[in-house]
Amino acid sequence: QEKQLIPADGIENPKIKLHNDFKKVNCSPDILRCTLTSIPQTSSLLNKSRLPLGILIHPFKDLSQLPVIQSNVIVRCRSCRTYINPFVYFVDQRRWKCNLCYRVNELPEEFNFDPVTKTYGEPQRRPEIKSATIEFIAPSEYMVIRPPQPAVYLYLLDVSFNAIETGYLNTFCQTLLDELDKIPSDSRTQIGFLCYDCALYFFNLEENLSQPQMLIVSDVDDVFLPCPDNLLVNLQESKEMVSDLLNQLPTLFESNRETGSALGAALQAAYKLIHSTGGRITVVQTVLPTIGPGGLENREDPNQRTTKNVTNLGPSTDFYKKLALDCSAQQVAVDLFMLNGQYADISSISCISKYSGGCIHYFPSFHCVKNPSLTEKFETDLRRYLTRKIGFEAVMRIRCTKGLSIHTFHGNFFVRSTDLLSLPNINPDAGFGMQMSIEDALTENSVVCFQAALLYTSSKGERRIRVHTMCLPVTNQLSEIYAGADQQAIIGLLAKMGADRSVTASLPDAREAMLNASVDSLSAFGGTLPSSQRIGSLPICYSLRLLPMLISAMCKFTAFRFGTTTKLDDRVFAMQQCKSLPIQYLIQSIYPHLYPIHKLGETTVMTKNNTEVPHTTRLHLSSANIDRQGVYVLDAYDRMYFYVGSAVGDQFCQDVLDVPNFMSIPEGMIDLPELENPTSENVRAFVNYLLDNRPNGSTFYVVREDSKIRMEFFQYMVEDRTESSMSYYEFLQHLQKQVKS
Amino acid sequence: EFIQQNEDRDGTRFSWNVWPSSRIEATRMVIPLGCLLTPIKERADLPPIQYDPVLCTRPACRAILNPFCQVDYRAKIWACNFCFQRNPFPPQYAAISEQHQPAEIIPQFSTLEYTITRAQCHPPVFLIVLDTCMEEEDLQAVKESLQMSLSLLPQNALIGLITYGKMVQVHELGCEGCSKSYVFRGTKDLNAKQIQDMLGIGKGAAPAQQQRGGGGGPQGPQQHQLPSNRFLQPVHKCDMNLTDLLGELQRDPWPVTQGKRSLRATGVALSIAVGLLECTFPNTGARIMLFCGGPCTQGPGMVVDDELKHPIRSHHDIEKDNVKYMKKAMKHYEALANRSANNGHIVDIYSCALDQTGLHEMKFCPRYTGGHMVMGDSFNSSMFKQTFQRVFSKDGKQEFKMGFGATVEVKTSKELKVSGAIGPCVSLGVKGASVSDTEMGLGGTSQWKLCGLYPNLTLAFFFEVVNQHNAPIPQGGRGYIQFITQYQHSSGQRRIRVSTVARNWADASANIQHISAGFDQEASAVLMARLAVFRAETDDGPDVLRWLDRMLIRLCQKFGEYHKDDPNSFRFSENFSLYPQFMFHLRRSQFLQVFNNSPDETSYYRHMLNIEDLTQSLIMIQPILYAYSFSGTPEPVLLDTSSIQPDRILLMDTFFQIVIYHGATIHEWRKQGYQEQPEYENFKQLLHAPVDDAQEILQTRFPMPRYIDTEHEGSQARFLLSRVNPSQTHNTAFGWGQDGAAAAVLTDDVSLQVFMEHLKKLAVSSSS
Ligand SMILES: [Zn+2]
Ligand SMILES: [Zn+2]
Repeated sequence: QEKQLIPADGIENPKIKLHNDFKKVNCSPDILRCTLTSIPQTSSLLNKSRLPLGILIHPFKDLSQLPVIQSNVIVRCRSCRTYINPFVYFVDQRRWKCNLCYRVNELPEEFNFDPVTKTYGEPQRRPEIKSATIEFIAPSEYMVIRPPQPAVYLYLLDVSFNAIETGYLNTFCQTLLDELDKIPSDSRTQIGFLCYDCALYFFNLEENLSQPQMLIVSDVDDVFLPCPDNLLVNLQESKEMVSDLLNQLPTLFESNRETGSALGAALQAAYKLIHSTGGRITVVQTVLPTIGPGGLENREDPNQRTTKNVTNLGPSTDFYKKLALDCSAQQVAVDLFMLNGQYADISSISCISKYSGGCIHYFPSFHCVKNPSLTEKFETDLRRYLTRKIGFEAVMRIRCTKGLSIHTFHGNFFVRSTDLLSLPNINPDAGFGMQMSIEDALTENSVVCFQAALLYTSSKGERRIRVHTMCLPVTNQLSEIYAGADQQAIIGLLAKMGADRSVTASLPDAREAMLNASVDSLSAFGGTLPSSQRIGSLPICYSLRLLPMLISAMCKFTAFRFGTTTKLDDRVFAMQQCKSLPIQYLIQSIYPHLYPIHKLGETTVMTKNNTEVPHTTRLHLSSANIDRQGVYVLDAYDRMYFYVGSAVGDQFCQDVLDVPNFMSIPEGMIDLPELENPTSENVRAFVNYLLDNRPNGSTFYVVREDSKIRMEFFQYMVEDRTESSMSYYEFLQHLQKQVKS
Repeated sequence: EFIQQNEDRDGTRFSWNVWPSSRIEATRMVIPLGCLLTPIKERADLPPIQYDPVLCTRPACRAILNPFCQVDYRAKIWACNFCFQRNPFPPQYAAISEQHQPAEIIPQFSTLEYTITRAQCHPPVFLIVLDTCMEEEDLQAVKESLQMSLSLLPQNALIGLITYGKMVQVHELGCEGCSKSYVFRGTKDLNAKQIQDMLGIGKGAAPAQQQRGGGGGPQGPQQHQLPSNRFLQPVHKCDMNLTDLLGELQRDPWPVTQGKRSLRATGVALSIAVGLLECTFPNTGARIMLFCGGPCTQGPGMVVDDELKHPIRSHHDIEKDNVKYMKKAMKHYEALANRSANNGHIVDIYSCALDQTGLHEMKFCPRYTGGHMVMGDSFNSSMFKQTFQRVFSKDGKQEFKMGFGATVEVKTSKELKVSGAIGPCVSLGVKGASVSDTEMGLGGTSQWKLCGLYPNLTLAFFFEVVNQHNAPIPQGGRGYIQFITQYQHSSGQRRIRVSTVARNWADASANIQHISAGFDQEASAVLMARLAVFRAETDDGPDVLRWLDRMLIRLCQKFGEYHKDDPNSFRFSENFSLYPQFMFHLRRSQFLQVFNNSPDETSYYRHMLNIEDLTQSLIMIQPILYAYSFSGTPEPVLLDTSSIQPDRILLMDTFFQIVIYHGATIHEWRKQGYQEQPEYENFKQLLHAPVDDAQEILQTRFPMPRYIDTEHEGSQARFLLSRVNPSQTHNTAFGWGQDGAAAAVLTDDVSLQVFMEHLKKLAVSSSS
C-alpha cells in the first residue's frame, strides 16, 4: 500500500489503439471519452468484462482553438443525419460513406471547392475532415420555428432577512455592475430583475424613467405580472437604469426583516416574464422557501441523521420539476446559486435547474464577513458565470455507430426524444454522461464512432452547431478491453449511476453497487489470468490499478459517505456534482490532489503563457504522507488548503507567510502574501497555476497543524481509517476476500 | 321673514312652523312635518366657544343647555326643556347671573358651536384613487389638478395615491432613488385583512420594514410611526415626491385591442382604498377621492364588459331587467359604501368621460359617506378643474370648507319623535325616546353619521307628532328640537354645533289658520322632492308620480278655499300659491323623468338634490330664468315659453347648467357683429350682462355648472326648451284619470295651465 500508484504528473488517460491518421485527429478526451477505449465486439464480451460502458461529454468546454466554418452547405448523411467527420470513408472524389450507418452519400461540389484558392481539391483538406471538433455557423434551416432568440437574462434575488444578513447582495450587485459590459450580449440583449421575500419585487427599468420603479406583488398564491412590459428591458438602452438599480438594491432592502421566502412564486413570475423569448433565469437563494406555491418544509433533523441510511434525498414535491419542464419547453433555463447556511432542501429546489438545463452553485453558510474566502470564491464564480460563453435554445443529439445504443443520460437537461437532449441554455462548465449498450454485434467493424452535435443560439443571435466526433477501436479480446479501460471515466460513470441509485433505491444500495462494480471487474479480470499469477495478491490490471482507491474514496465522498456529520444539502449537492461536473473536476473532488510544497521544484510544468512553473509530485491522501516538517497544498477543486506542519522552518514562515515562525501564523489566513523572494514567488506561482486550471474559483485556507480547521484538512485523507470507514488497506483486504469467494 | 331669520340663525327650514298639536291632526296636514338642516352652514357671527357643552344630567336625555331652558340664577340651576330635569350648573358657571350670562343661554345663540380643545384629532387623510385608462390629455389634466391640489392641502394632512387600470397600484410615498408601489390584480376582491397583509401593514410587519429605503439614517424609537406611513404621508414630507410621482405617471400600459374597452378595475381599486384606510385610520377623517375616466370593466364592481359592441346599460335596459352586471356591481359598491361609512371615511367620485362610468352603481359611496359626486365630460375641462379646486376652497378664516366624521343627533320634546332622515348619511341605529316607530327615509334612530360635510350639505328630517288628541298641550306650550352635530373640523379640532329650535303648537281642529300660516312652501317642496327621489330609488317611476299627484291634490283639498265642484272658485293663500308650480316642475324634472338621461346622469342629479341646501335644491326643481333686454334692468321671468322673445337674452340657471339663450333678433344682431361697432356700445353691454351674471354663478357654485351659450334655433336651445313650461305648444293632450285622484297621470308635455286647471278640478271634486 505504500506503493506510489499515482504518477507524478497525475493519472494518465489510456492510449487509444487506432491507426495514426485517426489517432491524430480524434476528439480530445477532455470533451468526449468512453469508459472503455476498446469497445467489446459483443454484449456478451462486455458482460464478461464486468465493466460499465458509457461516455462522458463536456460539449461546450471553452476551447483555445476551435475551427469555425460558415458555409452554405453542411454535409450530412442523408440517412442518419450524421455530420461529415474525419472518420468517414471516401469512396471516391464524389462520394463518402457514413461511419455511423454506412450509407454512401453524394458529396456536394462546393465541398471540395476552396474559396481562397478558387480551386477544387481533396476533401481531406476541409476542416470538417481535419478536426474532430468543429463549429458550423448554421444557415437559416437550422432556425427553430422562429428567428434566433436574443440573449435574455433575468435575475431572481432573495432579499429576505437572512439573505440581507449574508451580505451577498452587495457582492452580487457590485460584480454584475463591474461586468455589465462583458456579459455575452448584442444589441438585442434584455435584462431584468426580480427580488423576493414573501412578496415579489419587480422593477420597471424603462429607459425614459427618471429612476427605477419597484412594483411589489404580495399575492404570491396567484402570481401575475404587474405590468406588460419594461420588466425586461434592452440592456443597451436601459443600461443607466440598470446601473442605477444595481447601485441602490443593497440599500433598498438593507433593513428588511421579512424572513419568508416565496421562491416558487418568484419562479412562476419569472417564467411569465421570460417565456415568450426564452433565456436564462439566475436565482440566488439563501433559505428554505416556505411561502406560497412550491413552499417546502424542513426535512432535515440533525438528530435523526443515522450512520446507516439517509432519507429525503429525493425531492419532496414535483412543483419545481413541473415548472422546469414548462421552462424547458419555452427555452428557459434556471441557474441556482444556493447560499444557505441552514437546510434549504436543495434536493427539491434543484429540480428547477436539473430539468431546465441549468446549473447549480452552492456556497454553504455563505457570509461575507464570517467567511471571506467563500465570499471571494462567490465573487470569482459569479464573475465567471456572468461572462462565460452561453448558448441559448440548444439541443444536443448523440449519435453512435449502428449496433450501439445509448440509454441512460446523466446531467441537467430534458430528454426530448431517445437521442435528443433539450438544453434551453448550455454553458461551458456543464458535463454529461450516457450509458450505452451493445445491441448488435460489431463484427463488421474495426472501429465505432460517437458524434455529439450541439445546436445552439449564440449570445449574438447566430445559430451554431458544435460537432464532436470520437472514434474507438472494436475488439474481441477481453484483455484488450481491460487494457483500454479508462478508470477515471469508469469512476465518473459509476458516480452518476450511484447518485441516481441513492435516490431511486437507497444510499446503502448505491454503495453496495459501487463495491460490487470493483469486485466484479476484479473477479472477471482474475478469471482471465492464469491461476499461477493469482496467488496472494489482488488480480488487477494496470489500467484499473487505481479503481479500488477511487472507489474507496468515492465511498467517503460527501455524496456517498455514511456518518452523521454530513448535512443533507451538502450531500445532495455533491450528488448533483456527480451528475454534471466534467470528469476531471469530479475525479479531483472525489480524490483531491495533495502536493508537498516543501518539495516544490522537483519537476516543472509549462503554463498556457509558456512560462515554467515549479511543480512537485502528487501524494496519496494518507496522513502517513503528512510530515510535521512539511507544508502541503490540498486541492479539492472547489477548496484548497495550505497545510503547515508544526515543525516547519522559520525561514519558510518568513519567506512565504510573512510571519517569524509557525506559532505566529494567524488563524483564518486566506491568502499568501506577495513577498519578493524566490520561495514565495515559487509557491505563489504554483498555487496560482493550480487555481488557473479550473473555470471557477476556489476557497483558500492556510491551516496550521494545530488549527481548529485541521480536521477539515484531514477528512480528505481518504486512505486513512476512520471510526466509521475502512482505510484503503482494509478496503483492499475486504475486496480480496470478496474476489476470492 | 321669520323663516329666513330661522334659516340664517339655525340652518333649519321647516315645512310647518306652527305644529299641529295632535297626531291625528298632524297626519291630516298632508305634507309631513319635516325640516331641512344645514349642519355646518357658514356662520361668520358664531362666537368661539372653547369649552364643552353642558348636558342635561338625566341619562336618557343628555340634551344640551340652550336658550330655551329655564334658568334659576340664584340656585344656579337650569331646567331641561326636553325632559324638565332640574340640573345644577357645573362649578365653573358659579359666576353667572342675569347680567352675566354664558352664550349658550342668550336667546340669539340658539345655535352655538363648541370647540372641544382637549380632543386631539388626527389631521385629515386624503387618498387619491386615480384611473389611468384615459386619453393622454385627460390624464395630464388630472395629474396637474392633483399636483395643484397638493399646494392647497393642509401641510400636516396625510396623502396617499392609488392608481389603477388593469391592475391596481398602491404607491409608497417618500421613497428615494426608486419609486415603489404594491400591485394588485384588478379582478380579485380582497378583504381588509388580506390587503393589510399584502401591504405589510398588519401587526406582523416588523417596524424596520417601514424603514425601507431610509438609507441608513439613525434608527431609534423616535422613528416609530403608524405602520401605514409608507402609503399615507404628511403633505409637507412628500409633496415633492408625489409631484414627481404624478409627473412620471403614465397611461395604463396594458394593450387594448380594437373594439375593446380598457380593462379598468375601479371596483378593486376602491375596495383597496377602503381597506387601506379601514385598517390604518378607522374613525379618522379621511377622503377617498376617486378619479374615474370610464366604466369598471373587470372584477368585482364591473358595470360592463370590455366589448365595445356591448353598450352600457340604459334606463330601458334596467326597466326590462336586461342588466347583466348592475345588481352585482351595486352590491359591491354598496358594501364598500357601508364599510367606508362605518369607518368614517368619505368617498368622492369625480367621473369625467363622454360615456357613462357607472355612477349609477357607485352612487352609494358618496351617498352614504357625504362625498362629492362630480360628473363631467373630460378632466381636461374647466368644469372639472375649477370644481376640483373648489373642493379645497377656504372660508374667511383660511380654513377648509370641509368637515369630517360627523354625527348628527336629534332630540325632541316628548310630543314629537323623529321618523327618519334623508341625505348623504347613514343611520347609527341609536334607539331612544325620540325615535318614532314609523320610518320616513332612514329611520329607527336618533343619530346619523355623515363622514363628510361641507357648508351647503343639508339633511332632511321628518317628524311625527305623537301627542294624542285627548292630551292637550297647555296654552303657550312649545315643541323643541335639538340638533347636535359633532364633527372634525378641517383644522383637526373636534367641534359640536348645537341648534335648538322651538315652535308653537296649535290645535288644528280649532286654529287651522295658524298652522296654514306657518306653511313653508319652499321647504315643503324640497322635502317632498327628497321623499319622491328616495321613493324613486326603489319604486317604479309612475308610482312616485301618482303619489306626488295624490299628495298635491290632498293638500289643495285641505288648504284651498273653494266651493265644491266649482274649479273656478279655487283659491290658495299666498304661502301655498307657488307649491303646485314646484310640483309641476318637479314632476317633469330629470329627477323623476329619467328616460331622457342615462342612469349615471340620473344618479348624479339625484345625488345633488339629496345633498344641497334649500336654495340650490329649489333651483334644481324649478330653474330660474332671467331676461335681459333694452327695456329695463334684468328681471326674473316666468319659466315659460312665453318668456322667449326675439329681442331678449335669457339666462337660465338649472343648477347643473347655465344657459344663455339669445332671442332671434339678438342673435341676428350678434351674428352681424353690431357689438363690435362703437355706436352699438349698449348692445355690447347687453350681450355682456348675462355673461357676467353667469360668471358669478360659475365661479361660486359647486360643482361648477355646465355653461351653454345658444340662440334661437341653436342646437343647444333644447336645454332651455325642455325646462320651460310648454304653455304655447299645440300639444294639449293630457291624461287625467277619471277614476279618482289616485289615477291622476299627466303626460310629459302638458302645460302648467292645463295642469292647474285639472288640479283645481280634482281638488274641488266632491267625488274624491
Ligand atoms: Zn449515416
Ligand atoms: Zn333633559
